[in-house]
Parts: sequence; C-alpha cells; structure tokens
Amino acid sequence: MTALEIKDLGVHLGAKEVLRNLSLDIPSGTFAALLGPSGCGKTTLLRTIAGLVRPSSGAIRFGKQLVSVSSLVLPPHKRNIGYLPQEGGLFPHLSVAENVGFALEKKLKSSERGTIIDEMLDLVGLAGFNNRKPHQLSGGQQTRIALARALATKPTLVLLDEPFSNLDYALRAEVSSEVVSLLKKTKTTSLMVTHDREDALVSADIIALMREGRVVQAGSPEEVYMHPVSAQSAESTGDILELPAIRVGGKHLVSALHPEVKRSGRSESGYLLVRPEEIRIVDAKGAKAKAVTQAKVTRIHYYGHDAVLELTVPGLSGELKVRVTGALKYEVGKSVFLEHVGPIRWVSQIPTGE
Amino acid sequence: MRNRLLLLIPFLALIASLSACSGSSPESQSLVIYSGRAEEYMGSLFEDFTAESGIELEIRYGDSAALAAQILEEGENSPADIFISQDAGALGAVSAAELLAPLEDELLNSVDKYFRSPSKDWVGLTGRVRVFAYAPDRVSNLPKSVDDLTDSTWKGRIGIAPTNASFQAFITAMIQTRGEVETEKWLRAIVANDPKFYEKNSLIVEAIDAGEIDGGLVNHYYIFEVAEELGREINVENSFFAANDIGNLINASGIGKLKTSKKQEVGAELIAFLLSQKAQTFFLDEVKEYSAVNPARNPAGMIPLNQIKAPAVDLASLTDLKRTQQLLIKVGLL
Amino acid sequence: MTLPLINEQAMARGEDSRTSPLLIGSALISLGFVALPLGYLFARALQGDLESLRIVVFRAKTLEVFLTTVSLVTIVAFLATLLGSAIAWSLHNIKLPNPNVFRALAILPIAIPSYVFTYCWLSLGILPSGYFAAVVVLTLSTTPYVTLAALASLRRIDSAQIDVAQTLGLNQFKIFLRVTLPQMRNALAAGALLVSLYVLSDFGAVSLLGVDTFTRTIQNTYQGSFDRSSAAVLALMLVALSGIVISIEVQSRNRSRIFKGSVSITKQVAPITAIRVRIVATSFLALYILAALIIPMGVLLLRFFARPQPIDFFELSQAALSTILVSSIGAIFALLLAIPLALLALRASLLGKVAERGVLLVNALPGVVMGLALVALGSDFPLIYQTVGLLGIAYSILFLARSVGTIRTSLSRVPENLTEIAATLGQSRSRIFYRVTLPLAAPGVLTGTLLVLLSSMKELPATLMLRPTGFETLATEMWSNTAIFRFSEAAPYALLLVIIAAIPTFLISRPDKNYVEERSREEI
Repeated sequence: MTALEIKDLGVHLGAKEVLRNLSLDIPSGTFAALLGPSGCGKTTLLRTIAGLVRPSSGAIRFGKQLVSVSSLVLPPHKRNIGYLPQEGGLFPHLSVAENVGFALEKKLKSSERGTIIDEMLDLVGLAGFNNRKPHQLSGGQQTRIALARALATKPTLVLLDEPFSNLDYALRAEVSSEVVSLLKKTKTTSLMVTHDREDALVSADIIALMREGRVVQAGSPEEVYMHPVSAQSAESTGDILELPAIRVGGKHLVSALHPEVKRSGRSESGYLLVRPEEIRIVDAKGAKAKAVTQAKVTRIHYYGHDAVLELTVPGLSGELKVRVTGALKYEVGKSVFLEHVGPIRWVSQIPTGE
Repeated sequence: MRNRLLLLIPFLALIASLSACSGSSPESQSLVIYSGRAEEYMGSLFEDFTAESGIELEIRYGDSAALAAQILEEGENSPADIFISQDAGALGAVSAAELLAPLEDELLNSVDKYFRSPSKDWVGLTGRVRVFAYAPDRVSNLPKSVDDLTDSTWKGRIGIAPTNASFQAFITAMIQTRGEVETEKWLRAIVANDPKFYEKNSLIVEAIDAGEIDGGLVNHYYIFEVAEELGREINVENSFFAANDIGNLINASGIGKLKTSKKQEVGAELIAFLLSQKAQTFFLDEVKEYSAVNPARNPAGMIPLNQIKAPAVDLASLTDLKRTQQLLIKVGLL
Repeated sequence: MTLPLINEQAMARGEDSRTSPLLIGSALISLGFVALPLGYLFARALQGDLESLRIVVFRAKTLEVFLTTVSLVTIVAFLATLLGSAIAWSLHNIKLPNPNVFRALAILPIAIPSYVFTYCWLSLGILPSGYFAAVVVLTLSTTPYVTLAALASLRRIDSAQIDVAQTLGLNQFKIFLRVTLPQMRNALAAGALLVSLYVLSDFGAVSLLGVDTFTRTIQNTYQGSFDRSSAAVLALMLVALSGIVISIEVQSRNRSRIFKGSVSITKQVAPITAIRVRIVATSFLALYILAALIIPMGVLLLRFFARPQPIDFFELSQAALSTILVSSIGAIFALLLAIPLALLALRASLLGKVAERGVLLVNALPGVVMGLALVALGSDFPLIYQTVGLLGIAYSILFLARSVGTIRTSLSRVPENLTEIAATLGQSRSRIFYRVTLPLAAPGVLTGTLLVLLSSMKELPATLMLRPTGFETLATEMWSNTAIFRFSEAAPYALLLVIIAAIPTFLISRPDKNYVEERSREEI
C-alpha cells in the first residue's frame, strides 16, 4: 500500500518556482531518503508534505486521505505526522518528559501519559531521562528525544530533515543507524532529507533523487546506484567517470578503457558512465592484450580501508580515478594495466552546466 | 508550569478590577469632596466634622486647577458634592460653567462681604494676601509699589512665578484696576528688568533665603511654610506695599456645592462647619491664613486683614483669567 | 485517528498566512483604547472657537516652545544614549565587585518621580535652574531606559566575534566601535525613542526648572484659563511632534535582515579584569549611581532627619499596598493590550505598522491629558469611574509603548522552527502560542510588563484624577506633601517607593533565564 503519494506537485516561494511537476510514491512501512544537492528543493518538499509550505499545484495523499489539492491544504497540526528538523528542535523551556509528551492529547490521564512517555524513552534508549532539560543532553541524546517526541503519537509518517547533520562525525553513524533501525522496527513510514549519499544508501529502502525541483529517479539503493537514468543521477549516488566512447553497431565499444576493435556497423559517439570501483587494475603479466589499457599512476589518495589512484591514460584528457582495496602496492610514476569490469552504462549526452 | 501561571494573569486582572469596582460603590450617607486645599490644611477639620455630625466624608485631594478641569469634564456626571479651591480662579471657572448650586443666605452672610461671590454660589474660606518677600539684610529700600520693581535698582534681583495661579490672580486684578494697556506696560517693564522665574511661591522664598535673589512676589504664608520645612529660621520677611497698591491684593480660598449634588443640605452643614469659629481659628493659627469670617483677626506675625490697605478689587473679577492668560502669552511669560 | 477523504472545513485556503480574526479583533480593541485620548483631543479641539485656537497655534511663543521642546528632546536623547550605552558596556564587560547590585542600582533611578528627582537636585543649590539643569536632570533620570535596551543587546553578542576582532588587532575601544556598537544600533534607537517620548511627556522636571516645553504649556493652559480647547490643540501638536520622533526612530533602524535563527549557544564575553580599566569603569558607574540615585535619595533623607516627623506606618503601608495593587493592574492591562499589538506588529501588514507605531503616539501625552480624557469618557459610567480598574486602564494606555516594543522583540526571537515543530505535533495556532511562543518569550514579556509597573508606580496627574476618592498611593501621598513644600514628610513615601520599585528593577536588570541556560549548557 502507498503511504504517501505526491502527484504533479508545484511550489513557489515568492516568485521562485522551487518544485515543479514533482511526483513520488512511498510504500507504507518503508524508509525513504530524498537525496540531492543543496538548493534542489528537498527541504521544501519535506515542509510541503508536513503542511508548513503551501503548494501552488498538485496533490498529496497520506494513504487514501487527501491532505493537499492544489492550494487547498490540511493544516500541519491535523496531519498526524512526526517531524525531526535539523537541530532536533527540542523545546528549551520543557523537560525531556514534557517534550516527549508534548503532542499527547490533553484528555489523557497523567498515568497513561506517563506510561507512553516512559515507553518512548525506553524505545530510544534513554529511560530515566524524564526530568532532564534539553540543555543537559548531548547532541545525540537530543536527536533521540526528538525522535521519541515525534513517535509518541504513532504518526502515519515521520519526516526527517537532515536530522544528524549537527552531530559529530563519529556519533553520526551510530545515532543514524539506531534511529533508522528503530523506525524500521516500528514499521513507521519515514522520509528523510539528506545530502549525504552514503547515509542514504546505507539506511534507505527507497532513494528518491532530486534535481532542480523534481524527482529524477526513485528506486532501491542498488537500483539507483547501479542503474542511474542519467549522468546526473549517477553523480548523486557516488563518484562517476564520464568516459567518452564510440559505440559501433550498437554493441561494441571503443574508449580509453576499451582498446580499438575492428568491427563494422553504424557508429555513434557518447559516454560511458563508470564507477571507480568498476575498473580493475591488473598486473602487466596477467594482462590479456585485448582487454587492458596501460596507465600511469600520478597520485595516490590513501583512505585506510581503501585507496583511490589517479591515473593518466593515453588518449584521455584529465585524470582517471580508480578505487582499489587491500594492501597498497602501487607507486607514483609506475605503470599499471586497467580492465573495465562493470556494466555498460551508455549515455549519448552529458548535460553541461546547470 | 510557568505557562499555566501566565494563563492565570488575565483572570487575576479581571478579579482585581471587579473587586475594586464593587469596593468603591458610593455610600448614600457620605459626602464626596474634591479638595484643592491640601490634606495638611484640611484633614483634621474633616475628621472633626465627621466626629461631630456623623457624616462620612470621601475626600479627593488634588491640585485646585486640575480638580476644576476635572469637574468641567465630568459635567452633569460629577460624583462630587463639594469643591474646595485654593484660589478664586478655579471656583470661578466652575461657577462660570454653571455647575455650582446657589448658596444659602446665612452662609453667604456669615463671611465678610469681600469673600462673597456675587454669583452667590461660593464663599471664601480663608484670605491669602500678596506680599513682597525679601531678605532683610540685602534690601534696605523696600518698594512702595509694584511699579518700583521695574526700576533698574531691582534688575535681576527679584523672583516671580508667572505660571502660578496666585501671580495670575494678581495680574487679573491689575487689569481690573489699571486696564489692559497699563498692565501690559508693567509686565513688559518687569520682563525687561530680568527677573528670575519660578514654578512655585515656595521656591521663590527658598531662593531668597539661599541668596539667589533678594525679593519676590508671593503669598504671605510661604515664609512660614518654608521655615517649617527647613526646620530653622529663614532670612526672609514679608512686607506690604503702600496703601491701595495692587501688590497688596487679597485673594481667597473658597468652597462651593455642586449643582448635581443630591446632598445639598449636608453640604451646607459642612460649609457652615468650615466657617465656624473653631475651623476659622484653625486656619489662622495652624495654617497662618486669614479668616474669611473675621477680618479683625490675624495670623501670628501678620497684621490684621482689615488693616491691610488692599486695593479695591472685586473678588469675582479674579475669575476672569482668559484675558490675563492672553496678555501673559503676549508678553512672553506663558 | 480516522479522517475523511477530504475534510473541506479543515482544509482552508490561505489559513496559515492569514492573520486570525481573533488576533485582529483583540488588536483592534487595543488600538481602540489607545485611540481614546486622541479622540478626546480632537473632540475638544473642535469645540474651541477658531479665533482663540488660531492665537494659540500662531503666537510667537508656540514656535519658541516647539524649538525648546525639539532641542531638549534631541540633546537629552543623545546624551542618555551615550551615557546608557557606556553604562551598559561597563556592566556587561567589566568584572565588578557585585555585578547584580550594580546593575539594579544603575536601573533604579527609573523609579524616582521626576519632580522629586528635580527638586532634590535643585535644593543642593549647585545646579542653576533652567534649560541646562533640565538637560542634566532629564539625562540622568532617563538613562536607564537606554541602559536596559543596550544590556539586552549586548548579551546577544557572541564572544567569538570579540575574540576574532582581538586576533585581528583591534583594541577594546575599537572593538566596541566596530563590532559591538553596530549590533546595538536597533536597541539604542529603541531606547532613545523611549527617552524622547519620556522627555516630551515630562512635566515635573521642566515645570520646576522653568523650561517651556509643550507639556508644560499644556498644563499651564489648563491651569490658568481652563481653556480645554486650546490645551487640546497644543496636545495635538505634541502628538504630531512625537509622530516625527517615532518616524525618525523607524528610519534609523538598521534594516538589515533580522536574525531569526534557531536557538543557539551565545558564548558570553569574559569580563575584563585589567585593574586600571576596572577602576575607571567602576568609578564611572559609581558616579552615575551617586548622581542619579544616592543624591536625590540622600537629600530626602537629610531633609527627613533635619526635621524628623512621626511616621504613620499604617498610612504608609496602606499607600504601599495601594501602589502595588493599582500599578499591577495597570501592568496586567498593558500586557493584555500589548500582546495582540506585538503579535500584529511582527507581521509586515499595514495594520501591523499601525499597531507598532500608533501606541507610541500616545506615549508622549502628558498624564493630565490622559487623565482628563478618561474623566470625560469615564464619568458617563459611574460603575467604573474612579475605580482602580479605570486607573489601571489609564496606566496601560499611557505606558503601553514601554511594553509593546520589548514584547515584540522577544516574540520575534522565538525560533520559527520550534513553532513549526509544535504545528507538526498536532498543536493548533493558539495552543502553539500558549505552549511554545509565550513561555519562550516570557523574559521579554516580563520585562515589558515590569517597565509599565515601574512607570505606573510613580505616575501622578492621571492618578490624582482617576483613583477612587480617598484612595491614596505612595505617589499621591508624596505629592500631597511636596505640593505644600513638605519634602521632609514626603521622604518616607519616596524611600518606600524606591524600595518597592527595586524588586521589579532587579528582575528586569538580571540576565534572563534562557541566557543562564545557555551558559550552563556551555559548561557541560
């Protein structure tokens, strides 16, 4: 079942068109990520879903319920959503328990209220923090309390706006995985805005790639990573090499990584999209003459768990980046042999500029 | 917790104002007095009156002119029964607006005829006399007339209080006796003589004592007031001008009943009390003002009222302040 | 929770951007109260005969009064701004022996009525009466308005900026000039505006010192000739003048984007400990406190001990309770009137602008005008006339401008993201206001309300006319003694007034709670 359905959504902020003809479906119980560069409109989309921004056209449905048709909208407080903004947004004048219980209905008995609060605190691993004040919490704790607050009313949808961006790098991965597993465990449909592609790839069931006010591709992480619909989509999810190439007979390739083969047929020029890990370095000894290209190491970026080599290849302007793992056995200035091992992603054009 | 408290505030406000409303509902037996004369000069007399008659008094003390303006604004709705003023001007303004009730003949007749208003709707309570206050060690030739003060020998040495009701009454009297043209001449001459301006008579007396100026035009009782406040003898004495000089003007504090008052008889009772021997003696001895009933008596240190060679001025004429103000504005004193 | 497919009622078009009718309604009620005295003035002015009104407007004296008023307001506002920012800077940056006490003492002169303050200085005999004395006295007594505003803005400046400026080679003075001062600009403008309106409406000082400002001329017109039409015309001219002052303040405001970020940690500047700077700054503060607080209070005490009078403790305590009661009612009414106006002023609509500036127009009116306006209107309603309720309304209208500005500023500082979160957490707009906005803005709201409280405590002309008959406050008791030159007997009332006023003053001048929280978070 679809928990969130967005159709042809358009949003103007002032005179500026921020979202246009945007469509997106999120199946219920999934954790979705909105990934895109800053300024692409992903936060605006999230705020529009929350009801904080009024769209100019299009429709939004929560399940079967229509919450927004063109500029007719249901106000945010009637949408039953959970919202985690960038800095957690805990109310500084309220205790942890008061924050968590903030959205609970007034008519609730105080014992029932207390039970829900304790449950929620337990869920986020902060049982017993009831009487603390927000300023007495660490950044990670604040985020978790904000999550507990968002989940306390069992929302139909949880929206997260770069919730981990203000955490330390070391803390981020830990809190992020906790929060995500919690949301998945409770089968809460969630939509997270992020510009961190690893974050999205690791945690999301569905990734929606955004560019210039629209969703350009949506799918599982593997799908969007492995089968980008364009060079731009490919770039959104990871490093990409745009390799000029010629396709002969619709099948056979000629490029810097594909030494010339004598085939006949209609030839067209275009580009190959290659991930750095899809280029294998082979020893000169084992090199098969027809599949390898010789290249020279010009620079080594060492990351510990892996490394990226910058190589110059004859006939290719600019550097070629290749990811290698394991012990480092390369030296700057030495020659290596390359082999393309990934899928063929052919695009006929690379859009230039914005 | 705190936001709950904030929510309470409007309710507290409501409760407080409601309780205040009900608390001040007027009782039928009490008399409401707007008194321009200070509590110090009236309070004990009011208490005596209540003790003797059993009539409760609700007293609003204030500035005479402000209270008169207030009565004018209240008009028909005034809660006041009695208006007491420090000077004739304020009473005259209320009388001119036809807001005062005619007084009983026996009340009018009990005061010296100088203190009866011709409109018969208010009477004087006390007499207050204009004098020349001076520092005896610095002034040897006392002025015989207010005209002497325009002489260059007084340049920069005297103080006046042009915004004060008592000074304005004096100018009004001068217009009455000398005419507007002559008064304007005198005013211009005084202004040219570089006097110092003060807000109040008491400040003039204080300034004479402090040596800032050598003399000034004030009411007679201020030297006693200032000496008492400072708790010592002061270097200031009163003197009168020559006989019939306008500088010797006698002004009055007075009392009248509001036309809208439903307690005219009780009001008359209070006025009669304040004109009684007992009250008048209090004014003479404690406040050092003259009696409106018995001009033969005098406050300690002063000559009796009937021995002052006061100018022949109609007290009622002192209420016409409009011309005075326009003149004072014209010469730049207001 | 089951919801229908389409809930037409709930899905309103334009609801979130439209100002709620409740808010507009209550703001209009507030503005209605503010408009009362103006309406009264117009009605009275129109009653006068044209000829005498013409004389009032076109006499030479009017121009003189206009020039005197304008120059007095300008000079005092300038000096008070200078003095107030220097005092605030010292209080904020210097390690003082007892900072809380110093802060409260530097604000406390607000509580001394202007006529008492002026008389005490006059009686020392070192200040010649006149224009110069008025400048000195008014500057000393109005400086705290600037100090308060400047202190609040200093507390919001992050120490990182000062650190950076220091590493860029600026000395303390240049840091103040180039980093601190520009960020204080709006606060100083607001403080200077309050000072200007105070000077425009002041009667006590200018009358004792014989300086002819509009307010004194208005008072004299009432007093001398009971000519209410001429007085009303003069008062309308005063209103027009304050309109000019207000627009100057609006012009001088820094129009750069108002920072409206989320709650962030402002690191506080470490106090300067250099001994020479400390000695200079501490003596400067002590000098101000001496001139503005200790001298006037000392003169009263000396007067009292020169002629000790038995103190009527019953009367004294009753007057104190009355003062507390009636000024609290005034402050609460002002709060109720100010909140809708402040909320509306946050919006960039025409009504918002009217709400923000309209209230200021009335602030320059002398108390006697407000008193007479409410006498004229209130005496038709015997049930409320001369009750503490009506007096409270008078106070709230007179001093509303002192709270609207502070309340508006503190409301505007409530981070938008918090109110948005509250909306996503199922809270309606009114619930958000009570549960989030108001508690977060509480320190500023409290400060604004306490300023009204302080001003009401010492108000005189309107109090004399509107209090219940026989109801005496500290201010009226003080007046009834000073009016007949009994300063020694006024002393106990004046001292008690200052002591009572010290409590709200202390609350106003202490750093607000959010700031303390920020500090403690930093320490973790």
